[in-house]
Amino acid sequence: VTTTLRQVGIDIQDSEENRGLIDAIKADNPELTIRHLPGLVKLQAAGQIVINRDTVEQKLGREWETGEFQLAIVSYAGNFSEWDDDQIIVKWEH
Amino acid sequence: VQYELRYQVIEPKRQTYQNVIDRFGDQPASRYLEGTLDIEPRENFHYRPTWVQDRELYDARYTALQLTDPYSFLDPRQYYYTPYVTNRAAAHDEFGKTLAYLEQRDLLEKMPESWKHILGHVVVPLRHYESGAQLITVAGARFAYGTSLEQCCTYAAFDRIGNAQMLSRVGLALGGGAAEVLKSAKQGWLDAEHLQPLRRLVEEIMIVDDWAEGVLAVDAIDKLVYPLLYQGLDEAALLGGAGAYSLFAQHLTGWFADQRKWIDALVTSWSTDEQHGAANLEVLARIDATWGARAVEAVGALDAVVRRELGEAA
Repeated sequence: VTTTLRQVGIDIQDSEENRGLIDAIKADNPELTIRHLPGLVKLQAAGQIVINRDTVEQKLGREWETGEFQLAIVSYAGNFSEWDDDQIIVKWEH
Repeated sequence: VQYELRYQVIEPKRQTYQNVIDRFGDQPASRYLEGTLDIEPRENFHYRPTWVQDRELYDARYTALQLTDPYSFLDPRQYYYTPYVTNRAAAHDEFGKTLAYLEQRDLLEKMPESWKHILGHVVVPLRHYESGAQLITVAGARFAYGTSLEQCCTYAAFDRIGNAQMLSRVGLALGGGAAEVLKSAKQGWLDAEHLQPLRRLVEEIMIVDDWAEGVLAVDAIDKLVYPLLYQGLDEAALLGGAGAYSLFAQHLTGWFADQRKWIDALVTSWSTDEQHGAANLEVLARIDATWGARAVEAVGALDAVVRRELGEAA
């Protein structure tokens, strides 16, 4: 049985502040496709996208709370299957 | 009539500046990278410095610690002008609030005598130590090779002025707004017995030619002074009726944590450098052996006063 994984996506506002966040997501999700639109960066991956606080903090060079993710996103496709202090996972759960 | 809104994407000819493209390819990069990578001039120097004729104006050989590529080190905090200034403005605002709180309630005045003595005769005189460290660090800013290193030194040097200012402000507050405490602190820096080893040490470091050795020698002192006087006295202050001291000291502890980030990262870069790592480790060991023991001696003299004061209080 072959199952194709559905695409999940996150749209992030394209700004200086969010560049580190995008770099972190890129680092933790090797399969990620990235499209730059005016003012927007569309991230897509099959199955899931993981955001790790550790990686984001490394890329940003400062402390970062997963709650700050709210300020960065414009839209998303998928469910937040996990959102705790250390990690956010977006994936389809059904 | 139906209207369909469509957008047209105009691809920029380039995503970032050439200095970043050369290293990482054409992709959007942070302001920090854009303003840091390969910025310092490397060639076409018309004149050599008259005071060292075998060196260029900007030259990697101003220190024995070498990096194959100076940009293999990057500031973990990614400070360039704006984030640095924003961050420090916020830090000093916070400090101002703490100080206002202390002043409104006369909390410094209400500290036990021993704590007033520690603050006035051990801590406040260290604004002159900060000033010396500023000179040494600013020399690092001038002679470091590579913008990534130089920037860190520049900001660290500014930080020293900021630290000295914090100490001065707490000194003024301790003196009820008069400069008496600062004056006696200056005199103490010049002739009080417990401060002389430190003053002597800082002044000797000032004339070290190797900028990195100077910066690391100061760091050897920092690594003892900051944990000892600020973080280390926290609990004793809180339990000993000198909450004011703890409130003030937290700001310097906070600064020291920030300072560690870049210095530790730089030392790691030096010691793990592919080509120069082994040689650098030897130099680092020598610096540690030369200045580490001196720092222990100098800070030990401060520690003795603190212990004596707290011993009496207990």
